[in-house]
Amino acid sequence: MSLLTDEMRALVGREVVYTAPEELGRASIRYFAEAVGDANPLYTDEAYAREHGHDGVIAPPTLIFETNQYTGLPRDGDGFAGHMWHLDVPGTRLVRGGNAYAFHRPVRPGDVITATWRITDITERVNAKGLAMLIVTSTAAYADQRGEPLATNEETLIYVEIA
Amino acid sequence: MTAAAVRAGDALPELVRRIELADMVAYAGATWDWHRLHYDPAYLEPRKLPAPVVDGQVFGALLAEQVQDWLGPSARLRRLSFRFTNLVFAGETVRCSGTVTAVDGGLITVDQRVEVVEDGRVAVAPATTEVELGTVASGTVASGEAAP
Repeated sequence: MSLLTDEMRALVGREVVYTAPEELGRASIRYFAEAVGDANPLYTDEAYAREHGHDGVIAPPTLIFETNQYTGLPRDGDGFAGHMWHLDVPGTRLVRGGNAYAFHRPVRPGDVITATWRITDITERVNAKGLAMLIVTSTAAYADQRGEPLATNEETLIYVEIA
Repeated sequence: MTAAAVRAGDALPELVRRIELADMVAYAGATWDWHRLHYDPAYLEPRKLPAPVVDGQVFGALLAEQVQDWLGPSARLRRLSFRFTNLVFAGETVRCSGTVTAVDGGLITVDQRVEVVEDGRVAVAPATTEVELGTVASGTVASGEAAP
């Protein structure tokens, strides 16, 4: 079966923009570091961060890619309240492929983050078991309140045919 | 840590961490990701999942931490990419390992992976990090020593 329909192809270029309602804040940064178990004082100690070339505490590098707090979306039936494309690909299950992050500058408590998600590519392949796979690539570009780039995140979603 | 001290083939100090359900609940809270996959037995049972599933982005955070702790607070991550291979469940212990694959001036490329200690299952591989050594003078972090 072919998963790559004209309807799917037409989704390439679709874009959604989310802007955080407030500054990121020091508490969000400390909470993330605590949850991960990362005790690096760059994330909590103002003087230490300054000694190492920053303008004060910074966020752990991957915090910015956890965009749920910027979206303002309601919780769905599974409890999820984050960005999704809501693609309907009949006869498949969704698997996360991976991520490619690029960091432009460390994120600071005063940053108001805007995330711009865009579907950049949809292709079809066949896996080792002969099952069709639809591979959806999307990119999130993150910027601060001045429009300066903070980071990008390329995410791969794989819809695998159910045998 | 200076660029001169880093060579292709060098191994990074391993980062080993047990991920308890409470850690996962903390991460779900910190990231506003309340998906039941990460804590709710009623969601897991009909899907034949043995225990709550660790959010894959946790491994990205651990890989970043491993490199930052190794090179010290003046190093700046430039890129990090990773692919998921197997799910990890509540109560399991993961090990991040890494090897330097290239040193180009102050830019270091590291190949990393995440494995489950209990059975050797690969959770994340391949993973590649590019990190730039800082120009700000700072204390050297010895190999294997955690960041202060």
